[in-house]
Amino acid sequence: MKKRIALLLVAAMTAATLVACGNSAEDAPAAAPAEETEAPAEETEAPAEETEASAEEGSVAVFYYTYGDTYISSVRSALDAALDAAGVAYQDYDSNNSQTTQTEQIDTAIAQGAKVLVVNQVDTGSDDTTKNIIEKAQAKDIPVIFFNRSVSEDVVSAYDKAVFVGTDYEMAGHMQGEMVGNYLVENFDTVDLNGDGVISYVMFKGQEGNAEADARTQYGVEDANKVLKDAGKEELSFYDSSNSNKYLVDQAGAWSAAAATEYLQTAMSQYSEANNNMIELVIANNDEMAIGSITALQNAGYNKEGATVIPVFGVDATDAAKDAIAAGSMIGTIKQDAEGMANTIAQIAQNFQGGADKFADVASDNVVGTWRVNIPYATYTGE
Amino acid sequence: MEKQTASSDNKNVLLRMEGICKEFPGVKALDNVNLTVKAGTVHALMGENGAGKSTLMKCLFGVYNKDSGHIYLEGNEINFKTSKEALENGVAMVHQELNQALKRNVMDNMWLGRFPKISKWCPLTSEKKMYEATEKVFEELEVHVDPKMVMSRMPVSQRQMVEIAKAVSFNSKVIVFDEPTSSLTEEEVEHLFRIINMLRDRGCGIIYISHKMEEILRISDEVTIMRDGQWVATRPAKELTMNEIIRLMVGRELTNRYPEKDNKVGEPILQVKNLTAQYSLLKDVSFEAKAGEVLGVAGLDGSGRTELLENIFGIATRKEGEIYLHGKRMMNRNARESLANKFAMLTEERRATGIFGIRDIQANTTISSLPKYRRGPFLSDKLMSESTEWGINAMRTKTPSQKTQIRSLSGGNQQKVILARWLLTDPEVLLLDEPTRGIDVGAKYEIYQLILDLAKQGKTIIMVSSEMPELLGVCDRILVMSGGRLSGEVGAKETSQEEIMTLAARYA
Amino acid sequence: MAENKLKAKEQAFKELSSKDKTKKITDLLLNNAMYIIIVLAVIYISIKVPAFLKLPSIVNVISLTAAKLPIALGIGGCIVLTGTDISAGRVVGLTACISASLLTTTFKVFPDMASAPPIIVVLLVILVAGGLVGLVNGFSVAKFKLHPFIVTLSTQLIVYGIILMYLMKGTNNGQTLSGLTDGYRNLITGTLFSIPTATGNVAVPKYVLYSIILVILMWVIWNKTTFGKNMFAVGSNEEAANVSGVNVSRTIIMVFVLAGMMYALTGFLDGARIASANANTGLNYECDAIAACVIGGVSFVGGIGRISGIVVGVLLLQIIFTGLNFLAVDANMLYIIKGLIILIACAIDMRKYLVKK
Repeated sequence: MKKRIALLLVAAMTAATLVACGNSAEDAPAAAPAEETEAPAEETEAPAEETEASAEEGSVAVFYYTYGDTYISSVRSALDAALDAAGVAYQDYDSNNSQTTQTEQIDTAIAQGAKVLVVNQVDTGSDDTTKNIIEKAQAKDIPVIFFNRSVSEDVVSAYDKAVFVGTDYEMAGHMQGEMVGNYLVENFDTVDLNGDGVISYVMFKGQEGNAEADARTQYGVEDANKVLKDAGKEELSFYDSSNSNKYLVDQAGAWSAAAATEYLQTAMSQYSEANNNMIELVIANNDEMAIGSITALQNAGYNKEGATVIPVFGVDATDAAKDAIAAGSMIGTIKQDAEGMANTIAQIAQNFQGGADKFADVASDNVVGTWRVNIPYATYTGE
Repeated sequence: MEKQTASSDNKNVLLRMEGICKEFPGVKALDNVNLTVKAGTVHALMGENGAGKSTLMKCLFGVYNKDSGHIYLEGNEINFKTSKEALENGVAMVHQELNQALKRNVMDNMWLGRFPKISKWCPLTSEKKMYEATEKVFEELEVHVDPKMVMSRMPVSQRQMVEIAKAVSFNSKVIVFDEPTSSLTEEEVEHLFRIINMLRDRGCGIIYISHKMEEILRISDEVTIMRDGQWVATRPAKELTMNEIIRLMVGRELTNRYPEKDNKVGEPILQVKNLTAQYSLLKDVSFEAKAGEVLGVAGLDGSGRTELLENIFGIATRKEGEIYLHGKRMMNRNARESLANKFAMLTEERRATGIFGIRDIQANTTISSLPKYRRGPFLSDKLMSESTEWGINAMRTKTPSQKTQIRSLSGGNQQKVILARWLLTDPEVLLLDEPTRGIDVGAKYEIYQLILDLAKQGKTIIMVSSEMPELLGVCDRILVMSGGRLSGEVGAKETSQEEIMTLAARYA
Repeated sequence: MAENKLKAKEQAFKELSSKDKTKKITDLLLNNAMYIIIVLAVIYISIKVPAFLKLPSIVNVISLTAAKLPIALGIGGCIVLTGTDISAGRVVGLTACISASLLTTTFKVFPDMASAPPIIVVLLVILVAGGLVGLVNGFSVAKFKLHPFIVTLSTQLIVYGIILMYLMKGTNNGQTLSGLTDGYRNLITGTLFSIPTATGNVAVPKYVLYSIILVILMWVIWNKTTFGKNMFAVGSNEEAANVSGVNVSRTIIMVFVLAGMMYALTGFLDGARIASANANTGLNYECDAIAACVIGGVSFVGGIGRISGIVVGVLLLQIIFTGLNFLAVDANMLYIIKGLIILIACAIDMRKYLVKK
């Protein structure tokens, strides 16, 4: 009796999984890895029957720090498309925010005979992790392309088949700050709701202990202040003078919209136009948090059509942020060029495989020394 | 009091408890109680449930803190804070309700809290030493149990023996036995008595708590009787009769231990045919039971008595066999179906499968009959509390309120709550497994009366018991089980204990 | 009448010895520890930051509490069964994503769709989705006798995988879902009623009402139905419940299905409340929900718990979080304070259930 139930359930589950996989293959031709484990991920355009053969020798193995990251998802879609277009076999891995998982996945891929490793390292700023990965690759003479999350020059330069495709991560913060500053100089009086000559702001930080978040939190305000000062205006002032951090951070470290919504909702219960101390500016480390802020503002009657707009700035230029900018509820964001990054990675991977110079056909303006390619950021305030 | 000194001056006083008081919220559990135990004697402690025997022992043992009073062990005042302290100072207790790590083996349980080390320098536990020491104690006590056997795979009686062996292994001067025989067969009781006599001869002081008067009169030298938290009398056992003890315990004369049997046995309504269990030794049992009949099931422990009831009620897997009630086949595949078919079963292990300890009396009483209290989609508090009130009154349960947690009641009162639970399901066939285990004389009489009242209403009662006088006193017929099979059927009026014992040993 | 009772109590108290009096008072303090902590916390915070006790702030705390209640109400039942449910947060994420993908104006997941389906249809869809996950959880716990931790650990992973796949569907490419319809957002975050104050109106969002309804519903289910009584019986002694004729398997399955539906409702509220949903939505929600339940006296021992306790637990956590925010406590300290509060609150509360010796 029990056995029968068990069998039925297992059968049902298997069937459900198969159906789900089948669907995703049909519905999502772009990319649909069915499993997030290190089991062979599905190759995108290959028919379902051939998926199991995807771990073939000579493929490119791509390790993403987490599939849960919206921006990384954009890179993944673009990179999958670029590699498909180039006819390069590849395999995607989700490290699910765990360096341990990623390192083990790299071992597996090397053992399976991967010819190029493309690594979106989980632990940023850990030289030992990078060194460890490079040593593994070097032992088999496999090239490694790090991307997105920063690794240090010393370690990468030591292996001639290692490169880093990234962004100058401090750049996003600088550009955001500058954009905020410029916007404020032009619209100072509109933004300064209480007319006290000082803009009070809130800064949402995505995560503690993350170099990018640190830089964005710092420069987003510093650079804006610089612009304001040059224009003869008062510097920004954090809305809560007793907060010595001058930012509010997502406790879960998830850069999440929910965290921003709840923080801002709470803040606005104390700071409001009625009390003459309304928050007049929102700067967020990423677009998720910017969107979350807009939600809270809209719930309080701001940033809607015809209502007062509290300027909100983010980073990433996600679809949601672009929509918000188009609708006028958000002012600007910094575009990380997901496609540009994906195309560069694909190009370098092909260069390695074809034995060409590693930076062949890569825009030379972006190449830094012999180890790094910087994909430029761009400000985005609507099209 | 005066008699204590008179009876045996020559023996040393080992333990003296003086003026012990203990109060729980709303109840004075112990009120100025005295107890003196001499070396080399067995001192029986008697009283109805709730008289304070267990509380007194728990105060001695450091489980409870006494509010006032003094305890002297060999002349020195002691006040144990933990049971570990008590054990280390030579006071051990065999608890009524076994607190054992069932998933661990015998020797792990024996040496729990004091595992022997390999050596002074190597603080790892030594399995070898543990095994040898266990073997040694078992040999001394003539217990035949494999020290490496996992506790959960042993019958309750053997687990009890392990508990006793553990107490002995502390080289204790004072050993308390709290209802040690409630789950033992006659043979095992004899064995226990040999052990107790041996300990007495060694000069230990034994405190023996039991409801079974025959045992008390046989084994003990002195008897202390308590009632309602107070000391009533201490007498040499030789001077006491059963009726005298009952009079002291109950505070009134109890002329008859069994109520008058005035139930009328009717037509056969229940047929059990070729019942065989899938996972236990129960094999090919067939019998009939009649309306208004109290049918006893006798047998040694492990003879398949409990299994018989469990298979009828559907909480054990049947291999084959059929059950007919009023000529209609009853599948009884699980407890729910059996309940719907008007069967009810009181289980043997009250704490494991009977009570919901942290729930209150009302929840414990109504759980099996919840649909009765439904008004629309919701349960009516009024109906539930009425039924609970009925249960408390009908069973004469002693409880402060319906909202009292059941685990704070005494064993007998817990049993009454569970009986009420089953009666509320309005059953035709009541299966009772050891219904009076751990219940005092007064309450036992009430439960017998209840059983007979139910029989008079035409219900069929099948009752398993280890106490033969009880079966003879209450039942109409008695089935005797042996080695998983039915070895005989006797009329309660015509048979004797000897005949039942012979039948019980038939396939054993 | 009531006065007489009070007088009698006072009289009885006076008659007690001084030792008993201290004991009575200690007991009283311990039994109401949660309320006392809340009051102390509120007093302390509002002395430091008076705005904390102003109406906008009170409404804020209440609405945040309301948003977090449904998931805690669901998880509470699992804890009563001596279990837990760590798949809760992911179910919230899944149902938030489903809601946000259907009740939108952009239809990135379903590019072929022209207009949003009726809200009630979506509500049913997510209730079914949440219930299904609960069914798998409950079925595995009841029939395979697996520990809920293991079962829900597995479903947590499975559901996360499904969320990632779902977000990859259509033209969405794993992007955050937004552009929700006004109807959906208004239904959840629209104004229930406004309280006029000297400094303008303070709006109470509609989801506060929904949360209250859910609290009442769960209170009735827990206290007034056969299922509720059976749940507590199974939680306190599964064997005895079986022998007493309780359908243990069905009870366990129903508890998990009900819990799954409560997570789904949380997701439905959260989708509109945050106005966006992505793979991270709902992440770790179960941690706070479990903490709130345990603080509110739903014990891992099993068979113990009250709806009022859960409400108090969620409220206490929310007051503390919001309060620390008002006090501008350093972010690193927040983690430590949060941990300590859970530990201390639970330790105090547990004392109530210990058998006094």
